[in-house]
Order: sequence, then C-alpha cells, then structure tokens
Amino acid sequence: MNISGPNELLENVINRNLCTGCGACVDLCPYFKSYRGKTTMLFPCTLPQGRCFAYCPRLEVDLDYLSGKYFEKPYNSDPLGFYKSIVTSRASEKFTGNSFQAGGTVSAIMYFALERGYIDGAVLTGQEGILPTPRIVMNPEDVLSCGSSKYTAAPTLSAVNRAIEEGLNRIGIVSTPCQALSTAMLRANPLEEKDFTDPVGLVVGIFCTWALDFRAFEPFIASRVDINTITKTDIPPPPAEVMEVYTSDGSKLQIPLEEIRNLVPDACSYCMDMTSEFSDISVGVLEGDPGRNTLIIRTERGKMIVDEAVREGYLIVDDMPEINLEHLKWAAGNKKKKALLKAHKEGMVNNPGKDKISYIRLNNETLEEIIA
Amino acid sequence: MSYLTDNQNNDYLLMGNEAIARGALEGGVNVASGYPGTPSSEIIEALSSVAKERNLYVEWSINEKVALEVAASASFAGLRTMCVMKQNGVNVASDFLLHLASSGTRGGMVLVACDDPGALSSVNEGESRPFARLVEIPLLEPGDFQEAKDITKWAFELSEEIRNIVMIRSVTRMSHASGNVRYERLPDTNAKADFRFDGPLSDPETGPVISMVVGISELQHVPQQEKIKKAAEIFEDCPFNTYEGPEKPELLIITSSACTLYSREAISLLNVKDRVGILKLATTWPLPPRLIKKYLSVTDRILVVEEVLPILEENIKILAAEMAHEIGPKTFYGKNAGNIPSVGELNPDIVVSALSTILDVRVESVSESFVKEAAALIETGIPVRGLTMCPGCPHRASLWSIHNALEMDGRKGFVCGDIGCYVAGLWPGGFNTVKTLHSMGSGSGIAGGFGKLRQFGMDQPVLSICGDSTFFHAAMPALANAIHHKSPFTMIILDNRGAAMTGFQPHPGTPVNAMGEAVPSLDIAEICRAMGATVEIRNPFDIEETQQTLHHLIEHQEGTKVLILSQACALSPERKDNPKYRMKVDEEICIGGNCGCNRLCTRIFGCPGLLWDEEKGVSKINDIMCTGCGVCADICPAGAIKREEVAEYVG
Amino acid sequence: MSDNLLKDPYNIIITGVGGQGNVMASRLLGNMLVGRGYYVTIGETFGASQRGGSVMSHMRISKKSIWSPQIPEYKADLIIAIEPVEGIRVLARYGNPAVKLLCNSHPVYPSSVIRGETGYPSPEKIESSVRDLAPDTTFMNATEKAVSLGNSILAGIVLLGTACGAGVLPLDREDFHETIVNRLENQQVELNMKAFDMGFRLLKN
Repeated sequence: MNISGPNELLENVINRNLCTGCGACVDLCPYFKSYRGKTTMLFPCTLPQGRCFAYCPRLEVDLDYLSGKYFEKPYNSDPLGFYKSIVTSRASEKFTGNSFQAGGTVSAIMYFALERGYIDGAVLTGQEGILPTPRIVMNPEDVLSCGSSKYTAAPTLSAVNRAIEEGLNRIGIVSTPCQALSTAMLRANPLEEKDFTDPVGLVVGIFCTWALDFRAFEPFIASRVDINTITKTDIPPPPAEVMEVYTSDGSKLQIPLEEIRNLVPDACSYCMDMTSEFSDISVGVLEGDPGRNTLIIRTERGKMIVDEAVREGYLIVDDMPEINLEHLKWAAGNKKKKALLKAHKEGMVNNPGKDKISYIRLNNETLEEIIA
Repeated sequence: MSYLTDNQNNDYLLMGNEAIARGALEGGVNVASGYPGTPSSEIIEALSSVAKERNLYVEWSINEKVALEVAASASFAGLRTMCVMKQNGVNVASDFLLHLASSGTRGGMVLVACDDPGALSSVNEGESRPFARLVEIPLLEPGDFQEAKDITKWAFELSEEIRNIVMIRSVTRMSHASGNVRYERLPDTNAKADFRFDGPLSDPETGPVISMVVGISELQHVPQQEKIKKAAEIFEDCPFNTYEGPEKPELLIITSSACTLYSREAISLLNVKDRVGILKLATTWPLPPRLIKKYLSVTDRILVVEEVLPILEENIKILAAEMAHEIGPKTFYGKNAGNIPSVGELNPDIVVSALSTILDVRVESVSESFVKEAAALIETGIPVRGLTMCPGCPHRASLWSIHNALEMDGRKGFVCGDIGCYVAGLWPGGFNTVKTLHSMGSGSGIAGGFGKLRQFGMDQPVLSICGDSTFFHAAMPALANAIHHKSPFTMIILDNRGAAMTGFQPHPGTPVNAMGEAVPSLDIAEICRAMGATVEIRNPFDIEETQQTLHHLIEHQEGTKVLILSQACALSPERKDNPKYRMKVDEEICIGGNCGCNRLCTRIFGCPGLLWDEEKGVSKINDIMCTGCGVCADICPAGAIKREEVAEYVG
Repeated sequence: MSDNLLKDPYNIIITGVGGQGNVMASRLLGNMLVGRGYYVTIGETFGASQRGGSVMSHMRISKKSIWSPQIPEYKADLIIAIEPVEGIRVLARYGNPAVKLLCNSHPVYPSSVIRGETGYPSPEKIESSVRDLAPDTTFMNATEKAVSLGNSILAGIVLLGTACGAGVLPLDREDFHETIVNRLENQQVELNMKAFDMGFRLLKN
C-alpha cells in the first residue's frame, strides 16, 4: 500500500478541503487536533509515513483489500455493500421513557453489547450545546444520553484513538460511513506494527448522506433561533424534506432541506458510501416510519449480537418491506455513482504508483459497473 | 560602601555606565530617573545602589517621558538632576524634551541617551543625536571611560552655565564596555530644593517655568538660541576635544565616542601614525566652528568615522562649505562616499579597511590559509546560536498555548507583538505567533485598530501581547482607547513580575522602588477592570487551563478583553535556583522520533532544558539547564516526562 | 606567572553562552589586572544576547593606555571558551596560529540543535578542528568540575584559574583572592577560591 505521512495528508486532504473531520488522525499524536469540527495540523511533522495518513478514509483507500479482509471477496457494485440480511428494527419496551431518534436501534444494541461485555467501552457522539462531541462510555446507562442524531461532522474517531491509548481492546464504535471505513483501515494494521492487536469489538455504522460543517451550520442556525434554547434537531425520514429544530419553549422550527444542503461541505460529495458498508451492522431511518429503523446485518459478529439482543428482549426486528429496500438501494446507488464519477473525473481513482496519491482504489470491473 | 563612592586616588575598572554614574556623583547629582533599556540600565542601577549613602532620590519611572518630567522638576527647584534612557526612550520623551529645551532649566540637568549601533539589544538601530539639533540643546559624546565620568561631571556645570538641559550620548561599546577610571572627590550632599515662581514671566531664575507663550516666540526661542550659541563658544575651548597626530597629516580623521578607539587602533594596526591625525570631538552639537576650521585647515582629506548615520559628517560639511573661501576645497571620506557603512556598529577592522583604501596600505595579518581554514570551519561545522527563550521561561508556555489556540481556531488569528523577551514569538522558538512588532506598547494600539476592521470584513481573531512593565509604560492608553471604541480584541499581559529583559527593574506594579523601599504596587487586573475590560488571570504553566481560556476568548469576539498570564521569570530571584520539580524522562515510555510524537518536546517545544539522545532515540533532561517548571511533562504525548516535587522548593 | 605582559596590548577573549558567567569572569580578571597597575579595556555584549545567545568579552591589557573594546580580527592572544562551539566561533574570527586556547569541553546546545535542524559537532571533531587552527589548545571539562562544587556557573572561574596558572598572565593566585574578597559576598569567597584552584593547578608547572 502507498502509505505516506502527515505532509501528504495536509496537502492532499486538509488543504484541498477533502477532510470530513472524522477524527481518525486526531489525538494519535500531538500534531493533528480537532476544534469546533475542524481538523488542524498544529506544527509540522517530518515523518515520511504515519498512522494519520494510513487511517485517513480519504487517502489510498484500497476497497478490494478491505473487502477481502472483512468480507473475503473483492469489492463489488452492490449499492449497499456486503451484507447478510436486512430487517427493520426498534428498541424494545425495556427502553420505554428514553428519547431516541427513530427506533432507537443503535442505543439498544450498544447498551446490550456493553452490558454483556461484547465490548469494553463504547465510542459515541454526545453533544455540548449544538457541538457534537466524541465520548467514551463505559456504563450502559450512559449510552442512552447519546441517543440522538447529529447532523454536523464530529471527530468521533479521536475518541477511539484515546480509548486505545487507555488500553481498551474491544471497543464498540458508532460511526458514520467515513468513520467505519477508517476503522476498517486501522484494524487492517496497515503499517504492520509488530505488537498490533485489533482493538475493535463492534462497529455499528449509521446511514449518512452528508454531515454539515459545524462552523457553517452554527451561524446559520444562530441567525434563526437562540442556540441555547435548542433541545433537539431532527430530519424525519423521506418523503419529508425538512430539518426540524425543537426549542425549550416548545416551538418547532422547520427549515427546508434545500437551504441546509448549501451547508454541506464539498468533502461529502466524494463519499461513495451511504450505509457504512465496512461495519458489522448498519442502522438508518426507515422510509415512511419514524418509529423504526432499517438494520443491515453484515458480519458474523454483527449477526450474533443482533440475534442475542433480540433473544434477550432488547431489540425487536421485523421483515424489511420490499419497496423500502428498493428505495434504499436506489438512494445508496445514486450516491455511490455520483461520488465515484466525480472522484474519477478529477483523477483521484486508481492512480498508478506512488507519485500521485489516489483517494480510492478498486478493481476496474466494479469501477466500470458503478459509473456506467 | 560601594566602590562607586570611594574617595581614593586609585584606578577603578568601571563599566562606561558606571563611569557616567560616578561622574554624576562627582557632579553633585541629587535626583536621577530613567526607564530601563539596554544599554542604559546600569546607570540608574548604580545610582540607586548608593542613593541612601549619597542622599539621592532615584527612581525607575513609568516611562521615559515621565522620567524626564520627574528629573526636570528637580532642576526647576535648583537641584542637579539626571535622566537616563536608551535611544528609543528619547523618542518617547521627545515631546516634553522639546518643551523643556524651550523653557530652560535651573539646576544642572543632564539627559543621558544610550544608543545601540548594530541593534545588539534593540529592535531597531535608531539615533538619538538628531534630537539635540532638533530641540537645540548641546550634545556631548565621551570617547573613553575616563571621559564618560569627566564629561558627565562637566555637563552639569555646562547646563547651569547655559541654563538648559545638556544631552550626553553613549553607545553600547561605551556603556557596556569597561576601562580604567581615576576618581575625583565627591562633593558634599546638602542640597536644598526650592521652586521659585514669584518673579516676572520672562525671568529665567525667579519666574514661572514655561515652554512657550502662544505667538510670542521671542520670549523663549530667542534666548534658547542664545544658549546654544553660548555652548558653541564654550566648546571652542573644551578640553575634551583633542587632536593627536602630525602637524600636517595626509588624512584627518574626525571622530567621536567609541569610534575614537577604533580609529586609534586602525592607525596603530596600519602603522600610519605619521600620516593620519585624529580630531576627537566630545562636543558634537553645536560644533565649535573655529576649532573645526583650525583642523580642516591642516589637510585636504578628511575621513569622518561615526556611528550610525552621517550626522557629524554632514554638520562638518556644512561648516566646510561656509569656510570654503578660507580653507579651500576638501575631499571628504566617510559614509556618503561609501568608505564607512551607515548601518550597524563599527569596529577597528572597518576603519582599517577604510584607511587601507584611502591610503593604499595593507595590514599585516594571518596567512591566507588560516583565513580559509577558519572560514570553512564556521561554514561547515558550527551550528548558529539563535536567540531563544531561557529554559523554564513562562513566555514559551504562554506562546505555546497562544499558538495552539490560534491554529485550532483556524481563522488565521495573529498576535501583535511588543517589546520584551517575548519578541521571540517572531521566531520558531516562540512558534512564529507574533506578526507585528514595533515600539513599546504599540502591539496593543495596533490590535485595537485591527479590531475595528470587522467593518471591512476582517474576521481574523486579534491578540496582542505585552509585558507587565510595558503595560504601564505605554500599553495602558492603547487599552483605554480600544475599550472606549469597543474594539474586539484580547490583550494578553505576560506578567513575569518585573522588567525581566533588562534585569528585573521595578515598575509601578512591583512592591519596591529603585531604592529598595516598600511602595504601593498597582494591580494590573484592577486597572484593566476599572477601564472596563473583562479580565482573566491564568498561570501559563497550566497549559490546559490557559488554552481553554484562550479558546473561549478567541471564540467570543465581542468586546475588549484582557488575559493576564502570570508567572515569574525563570531568572527572577524567586525562581532562580529554586526548581519546583525534578524532571526525568522515562526512556521506556518515550516515543522519541516515532509516529505519535516525532520529538515534540525537543523538535517543536525546544526548551533548552531538554536534550535529544540521538543514540537511544529518546529525550533527556539537561539537568544543568532545566529549571524544573514542569511544563514539558504536560506537553509530552506519551506521559514519558515525569516530574517529582522538590522538597526544598520555596513557593 | 609572567612578570610582564607577553605583548602590549595583550588580547583576551572570554566566550560562552548567555548565563554562563562570562561577564563575571571578565570583570574579575579585569579587576585583578587593574589591581596590578594595568590599563584594562573590556568590551562585551549582553542584554538580548543573554537569552541563549553567544556572548563574548574582549579584554585588552596594556601598560600604556586604554584600547578599543573590540579586538581586531585574528588578534587574540588568549581565548577562554566556556562553551566549545563558541570557542571555535571566536577562534575562527579572532584567532591566529599562536593563540592560546583554553576550552571547556561541556557543550551547551543551540536551539537549532535541540530542535534537530542542525547537528552539534562531536568532541573528536571539535578537538581536531580546533587543534588544526590553534595547536596551543587545552581542553578540560570545567563544567563537570564546577558541578562537583555544586554550581555549573563556576566553570568560568575554573577556566580563569587555568589561565592564571598557565603562566601567560602577570597574575597569581593571590590576585584572585584579593579581588573576590573585595567583590563577592563573604560566603562565596571560599567556593570561588576552590573553583579557581581546581583550574589553577591544571597547567601550573
């Protein structure tokens, strides 16, 4: 693999505004820091190779290699990636009284995995005001306070780096697609470190079409409502086309998604993945049903934990309606095609050799199929 | 008893500044004031050390203008008085100086200005000499250490004779050099102060002291010019203007100050004593015309050797032009002709090179091969030694946090710098945070201006830094101005408890004065609050808290805010040889040059208390340099740098 | 000790890094010589240069007069280096084949070296390059000796002792004692005398 160092990362990702702010490079070292949603390099680092580059989901992502590693097949053109099954789901009555977004599937699974010791800590995204903030959670009850969707990017993976530093070795991660991809890259031990052991116990990926730039979103929202009074933001499943902002005085502001999309950073337009393909299970909204989730089970481990959670009465699953699956595939396929086409046009795919860094590498057959 | 107040007929080895102080004592000085600044500070320090013994009043004033006003009051009351500052300070004092030169003085009053050719310890290479001409007062320049004393003593007499302030100009190589000085007796000290003002307005001895009455320039300006004419007359016979050399030299060097010594040395090195004469002038403004005429008449070729600008050269050329019909045409060498550089300080070698060209002679020196080998050694084998902050310097910790907060903010925020050790913020040692640097206090004035540029779309966060002494000196008005005009910026006061760069002189915020007496100390935080700023105080050694505070201040950009980063200088009496922690690097834990650290502590933080062990690939503590501040333990990403409290530490 | 100056003026440069006691050493040496009836001129830089920068004291010793506070290039007779690289720097500009160099072997690393931008020459490299230019060179770890007395700042005094013991200056042990009794606090006299003697013995015949 073509792994370079911090200077190439700075030049090819941060300076070109391709950084998604996922936090993969943050707190690995003293140089990359995230503040208010923006990843910055504080001082120059001179190393020719570094984990910052190796884990970055925007550089030298070898999809065939990663697919081979996790799914034992080369990458293919399925809009939803590899999976075992797709169902609908929601948290069981055990969790009644908690406020969740949609069906509460993510919270229920992380709660269960933490309680039963499938994971020894959970890396989640909490909130300080309206700023999403990474958190390491050791207690199942604390999972429940993080159970709301965030629509701005958070450097959640910086908490994974800290958790590894603290000695956790079965970390559960709730991640966006870019974060799931980076996590897969980290688990592959790309720098072939000698005493490396896989520190990850479970990756729950969430569906994502974009994540807003916090620094653009904050003034946008502040010009419409007093930030300190915001209690919850939500984007209801399609066909609704609005962001809803709830405030402490009980009122609800509706902002058309059309306006919100102006705040989507360019970085997101290069993302091929809507459903967090490199996770154990993926969770998203269910079209037309705000009380349930779509749940994609991808790996053996994901299947085992979901089955256990259902058997133990933490999670309730049901069949996925065919029409919903079709719509989901269409949306995911559309995102994948647009992004790959764009990256391909801009010369960021499958560049030979080390001279020109590739954003993504994948077999030509799949490439052709996707962009056809 | 200090050696400065001995009354024996011995030679003493005195620094030029001490010689000036001794000269003031022999001249019966009663009051001395100043503001610290290299290379002038030792004069007031020397006088304050003997203040009690000699019944003096000595103060480190808030700034040079106030210092000059304080000193002037003593003159108005009939006492002998001296005011001391570095060249830049004369700019600060010049407003009052212009008025003072106009009102005239009573008791002998001397202004000592110490210039720094080459800017060895200054941010610029200014000249104080033009002020003498600008405000029409006499200028004296001692040519060695004995003269530094003797001329100072004489300056008080001259001042009383012409009833105006007299300026003495020294340079670094005079003030900070030392040489033999033989003393004269010290006078009795029983002066009485009495300010008389009952006489008529025009009476210089008994009337009110005023600089000018609007529209009546004759009242003061005419007598002022009479005074300078009288000084020129006195200078015709001044014993400190000397000539050495042949009666009819091929070349006449006209010089003053330390350049006299360089010129003599150059003549000696080139062995041209019989060909070159030196007219050494101690009275460089106004020039005594008859004396100049006499020596311009002995030769046709003249080389003027002076630092820094061609001021003496041009004044002599004016006289030469006026006298041309009597003395004939002359060839001038010097700065305008390109023989002597008009930038930087001079030395004997520069004068040697000028003389070699003019006289076509060569100096005997070492072999060509030695020169080549020496040059090669410097170029290839020797690391440069750039200026940096001392080990354990609180400014390093402050600038670190400021740098990180600005970088993480990411809106291209910057720091307006100021005068003090924290000018290191310009360089990698101070993390390149400082982006403007001018005069005392101007960082905050400039920052206040930047703050108002929001109107024009500028959203870069604006910070200023200044030291505690600088705050009192000139930054207070800048802060008041910014608050009044609602300029959004953050002023960071790096309070290290004294004028550290010049040697811990007291200022209005310290609890003792120059003479070691207990005095009220003004609370910087309270002053800022009273002006209307919101004020935070942090210990810069608490990196985490300081950085969080900075984040908050930078993020919320409304209003003028003050952050005081308070920590004593590593060289201060309270911290010197009093380490708080014993530091150690755990070699097992240190990541060294690998991914995850890449030598952050040595490569970036760069405290001289740290070392890089190339062989082991780990950092080490330099036990000789380390002052035990403990900050490196907080920046180490691996937790490899350990601190252990020192039992003997005095907190 | 020599009865007279070996040359007139006799030119000494004491060099080191800010904070190493350079000024103190030159002051003490100067006072010893003035006490012996010589004219002494010292030129030095301090102020900003204290902050980890190179420092130099130029000393001119003469029976006849004051001299320039800056020594001309290649005209030093004795160089006392409290820091080896500073010794080289001075040697290259002010040295000559006949110069006598007394050099502390303990390095103080410049910030560029600490940051890893440049290297610091090895002791072997320093020694060989110095000896090429100045055969009459003595190296010693004066800092180590000073630290054994409890304070690294005494390194300059150790070297001063060596200079006085080497027979090139018209000074003896007593001159030093007399000077520090006059100049230093009582409790410092014994310690400084110890440091001086450590160096004094080194080249004493």
